[in-house]
Amino acid sequence: MRVGRSLPYVFLGPALLVLVILAAVPTLYAVNLSLQNRTLSAPQAEYVWLANYLKLFSDDRFLNALWVSLKWEVLTVSATMAVGIGLAIAMFEAATRRWRMILSVLFIIPVLLPRVCAAFVWKFSFHPLYGAVTWPVRALTGQTPDVLAHPWGAMLTVAFVDVWQWGLFFAVIILKLMEALPPQPIEAARIDKAKGWEIHRFVTLPMLKLPLISLLLVKAIESLRSFDLVYVMTRGGPGVSTETLDMYAYSQGFIEAGNISYASSMAVIMMVLTVILFTSIWKRLNK
Amino acid sequence: MKLSTLLLRIVLACAALMVLLPLLWTLLNAFKTNADLLVNTPKLIFTPVWDNMQYVLGRRSVARALTNSLVICSSAVAMGALLGVPAAYVIARVKNRLTREAQFFALSLRFLPPVAVAIPMMVIWLGLGFYDTRFALIVTYMTITISITVWLSIPAFERVPIAVEEAARVDRLGPYATFFRVALPIARPQILAAIAFSFILVWNEFLLAMMLSTSKARTLPVVASEMSQLGMNVPWGVLNAAVVLLSLPPLILLAVAGAGMNSVFSRKSTQD
Amino acid sequence: MATVECRNLCKSYGSHEVIRNFNLSISDHEFIVFLGPSGCGKSTILRMVAGLEEITGGDLFIGGARVNDRDPGDRGIAMVFQNYALYPHMSVRENITFALERAGTSRDEIRRRLDPVVETLGLDIYLGRKPTELSGGQQQRVAIARAMIKTPEVFLFDEPLSNLDAKLRGHLRVEIARLHRALNTTSVYVTHDQLEAMTLADRIVLMNQGRIEQMGTPEEIYSRPATVFTAGFIGTPSMNFFSLDAGEGRLRNADIDLAAPFPLRAGKVTLGIRPGAIRLVPEGTPDAIAATVERDEFHGDMRLISLNAGAESFMVSVPAATRLSEGERVLAHLDPASLHVFDAESGQRLGD
Repeated sequence: MRVGRSLPYVFLGPALLVLVILAAVPTLYAVNLSLQNRTLSAPQAEYVWLANYLKLFSDDRFLNALWVSLKWEVLTVSATMAVGIGLAIAMFEAATRRWRMILSVLFIIPVLLPRVCAAFVWKFSFHPLYGAVTWPVRALTGQTPDVLAHPWGAMLTVAFVDVWQWGLFFAVIILKLMEALPPQPIEAARIDKAKGWEIHRFVTLPMLKLPLISLLLVKAIESLRSFDLVYVMTRGGPGVSTETLDMYAYSQGFIEAGNISYASSMAVIMMVLTVILFTSIWKRLNK
Repeated sequence: MKLSTLLLRIVLACAALMVLLPLLWTLLNAFKTNADLLVNTPKLIFTPVWDNMQYVLGRRSVARALTNSLVICSSAVAMGALLGVPAAYVIARVKNRLTREAQFFALSLRFLPPVAVAIPMMVIWLGLGFYDTRFALIVTYMTITISITVWLSIPAFERVPIAVEEAARVDRLGPYATFFRVALPIARPQILAAIAFSFILVWNEFLLAMMLSTSKARTLPVVASEMSQLGMNVPWGVLNAAVVLLSLPPLILLAVAGAGMNSVFSRKSTQD
Repeated sequence: MATVECRNLCKSYGSHEVIRNFNLSISDHEFIVFLGPSGCGKSTILRMVAGLEEITGGDLFIGGARVNDRDPGDRGIAMVFQNYALYPHMSVRENITFALERAGTSRDEIRRRLDPVVETLGLDIYLGRKPTELSGGQQQRVAIARAMIKTPEVFLFDEPLSNLDAKLRGHLRVEIARLHRALNTTSVYVTHDQLEAMTLADRIVLMNQGRIEQMGTPEEIYSRPATVFTAGFIGTPSMNFFSLDAGEGRLRNADIDLAAPFPLRAGKVTLGIRPGAIRLVPEGTPDAIAATVERDEFHGDMRLISLNAGAESFMVSVPAATRLSEGERVLAHLDPASLHVFDAESGQRLGD
C-alpha cells in the first residue's frame, strides 16, 4: 500500500460533511417550521401542515412581494448586463492599457463595499433636503424632490445602487473576457470592413455568449440578496412598493407578527423556486 | 482622435466619477459638523472636525461590534480556508462524478436565499441556547466562507501544471507533501485572493447578522445601520463616519490582494 | 545504473485497453528511444516505468527488482518532462537540489554534486533566478540538471525537446547525446521526432497502437523496415509505395512492370522504395517506369520531383542541378537492391 492514498478523503471529507450539515439542517428545519404555527412569543406550537402555504396564496402582500421581487430581478439583471457590456466595450475600444488597469480597479470598488454603506452613501446623496444629487433640482426649481417617496422612484433608485455596485464590476469581468479572446476573428472582421459596433455585435459578443449567460445567472443569484439595500434605503416602502420577498419574510417573522412559521413557508417557497430554477439552468449551461 | 472614441472616453470618465465622487463626498461629509452637512447647497469648503469619528469610535457598541466583526469574520474565514482550500485541491485534481457534484454543491449553496437560511437558523440557535453568540454567527458564516473558498480555489489549483506535481512525486514527495510544498505555494496568490474575497463577503454580510443577534454578537454593518435610528433626527455626519470606517477593511484588502494579483500577472508565465 | 524489464505490461482505462502485453528488456547503459505517432502509447509506457501511471497488469523490473508497487521516488529514476515541470516558486538552485534535500543528503554533499552539474549545463549565472525568468531552452537545461544531480539508475525523457524551436532542439539534442556518452546511464527517451530517435538511440522501439511495431538499431529500422507502417514512418522524404501483383518473377500492375528482386509467391504485394533510390535514366533502359513530371520542389541540396505513371504517383529525389519542366516525360529506374516488398494483406516484410 502506498502512502497518501487517504488524501482525497481527508481533504474533501470534512468540508463536504460540514457543508452538507450546514445546508441540510436549516433546510429541513425550515420545511418543518413551515408546517407548524409557531410564533416568536409562544414556544408551543402544533402542526398545521399546509395551512401556511394556502394562506400565502390569498395574501395580497405576499403576491405583491412576489411581483416586486420579479420586477427587481428583471430590472437589476438586465441593467447590470447592459451597463457591464457597454462599459466593457467602451474600455476595450477607447482606453489604453494603463487606463484599463486604473478603471478596472476603480470599477471593482463599489461591489466590495458593504451594501449597507453603498445604501447610505446614495440615500444621503438622494436626500431631498441635503443630497448632492438632488441639489441641482433644488437650486434650479426650488423644489425638494424625494425620489424614495415615490413607488417607482424608490424602486429605480434602489436598483440604481445595485447596478452601481454590480454593473461596474461586471464591466471589468467582461473586459477581461474580451481581452482573453483570440484576436484573429476581430482582425478578420476589421479587414472585412466591419465598423466598431458591428465587430462587437457580430464577433466578440457572440463569441462570449456562454460566459455572458453564466454572468447573467450569477447576477440573477446575487440579485436575490437585495435585502441590505432595501432595508436601509426604503424598508420596503413607500407602502409595500419595494417590499421584496426577503423583506416581507423578514417583517412577518420579526417585526410585525413574529410569525416564524408563516415566514418559514415563504422561505421554503423561495428556496424551492431558486434552487430548482438555478440548478436546472446551471446544469443545462454547463453540459 | 475619432469622435466615437471621444464619446466613449467621456462615458468612461463619467462612470469613473460615479465611483469616485460619492466616495470622496462621503469621506468629506464624515468630517463635517451637522451645520456644514445639513445645508441646502452642498459645501466644499468647511472646517473639518473629528467629532463624528470620535463619536463613532468612542461608542461602546461600536467597539464591541468591531471586535465581534473581527473575531467572527476571521474565525469563519479561517475555518473556510482550512476546510475549503484542501477540498478545492481534491476537486481540482480528482475528476470524477463525486467531485463534480461536490463542486456544484458548493456553488449551489449560494442559490439559497439568505432569509431562507436565517429564519430556521435563528430558531435552531434559540433552541440550542446559542442565539446572539459569536459562535452561532461563525458557524452560520462557514456556509458562505467554505463554499466561496472552494469555488474560487478550484481554478487556482487547476492552473498548477500537473507535470510539476509529477516531478515532485519523482522527487520523493508524497501526496500531502506535494500539496503543502508544491501545489499550495504555486497557487498561493490566487488562494489568498479567494480567502480575502470570502472575508469581504462575511464582513459585508448584514441580513444573517441582524437576524441572528440582538446585542452581544452584533457586527459592524448592523450597528452602523442602527445609527440611523438614534433619536429623532438621522445623525448624517455620524453615519458618514461609520460608512467610511466600515468600508475601510474591504478597500484595504483590495489594495493588498490587488498588489498580489498584479505581481502574478506582471510576471509572464511561460510554463503552461 | 540498471536494467529495465517490462514483462507483459498492460494498461487499461476502465474497459479501454491502451497497452497490451508489452515486453521489452533494456540492458545496462543502453539509450532506448520510444518512437511513434501521437496516441501510440509510448508516453503511457514511460509513465508506467516512472510510476506516474498505475500498471494494470504485468511486471516491471528495474535493476532486477520488481517495482510495480513502488512510488516514483523509490524507483531510482529521474525524469525530464515535456513542459519542463520546474517548480515555479523556487529558484533554479532550489529546483536542482530539491530532490537531494528531500532524500536527506548533507549540505556539503549537495554542494559538491551541484558544481559539476551546473558547469556541464552552463547554468552558473542562472542559479539565483526563478524558472519563469528563463527561456524555454534554459528551463529544459535546468530540468535536465535536476534529473542529472540525482545520479539515477535510469533517466526518463518524455518528449523533452518538443516545446522548443527547431534550432534549440538540434542544439539540446547534441547536448543530451554528449551527456549520455559521459554518464552512460540507462535512458528511456520518448519522442515523435524521427531525427531525435535516429541520432540518439542505441535502439529504437517503434510503436503503433499500443504495440511494438519494430525494435532495432536506427540503421536496421531504416534499411530493413519490418512492416509497411515502419517503412512509411521512418525516413524523410517518406517512402513511395506501389500496390502490385507478384507472379512469374515480375511485379506489375496496369502501369508498372518490374523484375522481382527475389522469387515471390504469386499474390498481392506492397512495394516500397525511398525517393533517393530512384534514378532518372535515359530512354531505352530496361525495367524502367515511364512517367511524367507533375511537380518540382527545390529543397536546396536536392530537388524532390513528383512523378505520375498512369494512376500511380511517386516521388524521386534528384540532384539540385537537374532541370526538368512540368509535363516532361522521363524514365525512372528503381534500384533493385533498395526495394522493400511487403505482404499486401499483413503488411509484413517479405524476403530478407
